[in-house]
This record gives sequence, C-alpha cells and structure tokens, in this order.
Amino acid sequence: MKRLVVASLALALGGCAIVPQNRRARLADPMMSLAQDPLEAHRKQKLYSTREGAAGGDGLAAGGGCGCQ
Amino acid sequence: MRKRAARSALLALSLAIVARPAAAEDARPSAPLFNDADILEKPRPYFQIESIALRYSRFDQSGTGYQSRAGKPGQPGSEEMRVEQPQLEVTARQGTHLTHRIWVPVDIVTAASPDAIDVVSGSSRRNEAASFDWTATYARDRTTASIRNGLHNEENYRSWNTGLAGSRSFAEDNTVLSAGVNVVVDWFDRYLIDGTNAGHNARSSLNFNAGLTQLLSPTTVAHVDYGFTLQEGQLSNGWNIVPTPQGAFQLENLPPLRRRHAFVARIAQHLPWSGALHGSYRFYVDDWGIVAHSLEAELHQRLASFARLRFNYRYHTQAGADFFRTSVPLGAPIFATADSDLAPLHAHTVGVKGTFDFAVPFARTLHADVAVERYFRSNDLRVSVYSCGLGLLF
Repeated sequence: MKRLVVASLALALGGCAIVPQNRRARLADPMMSLAQDPLEAHRKQKLYSTREGAAGGDGLAAGGGCGCQ
Repeated sequence: MRKRAARSALLALSLAIVARPAAAEDARPSAPLFNDADILEKPRPYFQIESIALRYSRFDQSGTGYQSRAGKPGQPGSEEMRVEQPQLEVTARQGTHLTHRIWVPVDIVTAASPDAIDVVSGSSRRNEAASFDWTATYARDRTTASIRNGLHNEENYRSWNTGLAGSRSFAEDNTVLSAGVNVVVDWFDRYLIDGTNAGHNARSSLNFNAGLTQLLSPTTVAHVDYGFTLQEGQLSNGWNIVPTPQGAFQLENLPPLRRRHAFVARIAQHLPWSGALHGSYRFYVDDWGIVAHSLEAELHQRLASFARLRFNYRYHTQAGADFFRTSVPLGAPIFATADSDLAPLHAHTVGVKGTFDFAVPFARTLHADVAVERYFRSNDLRVSVYSCGLGLLF
C-alpha cells in the first residue's frame, strides 16, 4: 500500500511541468481519453461487478443498485 | 427683388449639394445580404439536445459454482445465464452552464438460477430490471458540480441512489482534482430456504471517491483514483446457497458490514503512428479478506480519419473471502459463502472493438461501434460479450 501511495505521489509530482494549450493536439484525440464512453463503462462494470467479489468502489459504489451484486 | 431671387437660388443650390450624398446613399441596396447572426453564429437555443446514444450488449455465460442450486447435491451447479442489456442516454444543455444527462439501462436476465425455489416471484428464470438515472452538471470557469439521482426497479427489488460530485482544474487545466460521494439504498423481499417470503430487508452503500488527472507531457496523461465504500445490511443476494456434508444446502450467511478500498492508476500514451496505448493498475482490499490486483492494457489504432480499432486485455487475480467454503455443517451459526465470485480466482479478458465516426448533414457526428469480448475465469466461468453502439452528436 505504501508503495502505491509513493508511486501515485511520484506520478503527480512528475506532472508539474505545464503543457501549454497549443501543444495538446494529441491529447485531444479521442483515443487518448481516459474516461470511457459511459454506456460502455456500464457494460464493463456489469461484466465485472457481478462476477468478481473485488469489483467496484472506483468511481461508484461497490455493490448495491442491482440484485445480483 | 433680384437680390432676393439670387439668395433663394443660392439656398436651393446649397440644399441640393447637401442632399446629394443622401440621394446617392438611397440609390445603394437598402438591406445588407447578411446580418450579425450570420457572422457571429446564431444564438444557441436555451435548451438544446447535445447527444443521443444507444447501446445493446449481450452476455452469454456458462460455467458452474457451488452457490448455484442447479446441480447435484454437494456438487457445483450451473451458472448458465444470458443477459441482454439495452441502454439509452440523452444529454441536453440548458442555458450556458447547465447540462442534463438522462440514462436508462435495462437488463433482461434469463435463467439466472434455473432450479431456485423462488416460486413466488418467478424471477429465477427470467428477470427484467430497469433504471432511470438523471445527472445535472453545472460548469463554470474551471469548476464543475453535479448532482445525480436514480431509481432501479426489478421484480421484488427496489433501489435508490443519489450522489454529489465536483471537479476543479488547476495550472492552465494541466491538473484536475475531482471528488464525489454516492449513496445507494436497496430494498428487497427476503426469502427463507424453503421459498417462504419473510418480509423485507435492506442494504445501503456509502461511497467516497477522490481523483487526480494530470497532463505529464504533450503525449501523456495520467489519472489516479481512490474509492472507499461502506456497505451495511443484508449483503447476500438472497438465493445463493452453501452445500452441507449431508447433501442438503442452506442459504449463504454474510457479515452485515463491509469496508472496501479501491485504488486505480491509469496512463495513456499517444503513439507516433496514430495510435495510443493505455495501461491501468487497480488494487483492491476489503475487510472480508479479499485482496485483488487487476492489470489492463488497451492498444488503440487509427485506421482512417473516420475509423479506429482497439484491442484490450485484462488480468485479474483475487484472494478469496475469509469465510469462503464449499461445504458447511447444517445449521452452523457461522459466516459462510460458496459464491464463486468470492473465491480465490484468476480471470482474463480479451477483446476487440471497432469505432466509426461519420460527418452527416443532420448532426455533427454519427458514431457507431461494435465490440466483442471473452472473459474466462480459473474457477470454471466463461462469458462472451457482444456489444454495439450508435450515437448522434449535435
């Protein structure tokens, strides 16, 4: 757990260099989006949350809202 | 008299000279060929549909698990199941700062537990479930705030959820901090082992999330997220069983409290050949004894200006719950589950998805995609997933 915290802090601190707006063309490509299409995200959540006891908890409540969770 | 006539002639001449430009202007076209709206774009309507999306997914599952009654006594029963899942999403903008999202997912589950004794509701063989979810988001400058409310209904089961979330960007939008809280309350019929309805029961889930998204370079973006969920109430689904050595079975018995922690790190790297590579790692731990690690990779490749392809792979491993067992002495007052989802397991997912975005005259973009995935688990469970989506962006 400590390693994860250190890794996430290193990730955050490593990003302190500002990327100017005029150099973000590649970041604006839909392929670079870290957020999935919400309907596909739900499909994916359905696949895992009803088949793995360790699913959920990241972004939305783990369990609840469905009889099979 | 002559002097007066000369003065009148001079006045008339002066008037004629002064009036000439005006007359010349009158000769020009009276109305311009364009107006301000043509130059500055027409003012947006106060209420405007921004997107409509439809998705249909189908899950074909096969395998066995000890929690299922559809098997020989003491042996794992069938987990064969088919789920059809249509979804509809509409987003609309109201005014300058407010956006609404309406989302309606439906689940049609067939043969969830074929030999279950739930003869009262009949929900074992075919079960329809639907939700209605509304999110309103207010965005101004670098801050967003949203409120989410939803209802879920299926046979003998109701659920309500509500949530608040917000985000704030910093450092010229290089950094975005987000946080949210969600509450889900489930209310459902409680059945005894012989199918007798024993009234109602409830469970609640309280969830808190905090995330950070950071641009690392002109081609790299990363995100970290932590989520905590506290669940209370009847946490079993009401029909899972645990076999007994005598060849009988009893309902699973789960602790009424569960604290769950999930930590996620994601990164996306743009590739020079019009591609992108995504990687993610998720760590999960809860007080039922489950510790899990999930690794996922996605390779995106643009094939043409309107088409791209995605390959994805996921590996998941988890330790089982402390009280997972495939047999329990009849009537023993202990926590016990035989649910294969709570067992120690490894799982793999492989998939491919094609995405197409077309420019059309009646909308900004027509989106279409089709995806196939295969999920297989070490403890005898396999799922084939087929999904296709269609959407319009206005």
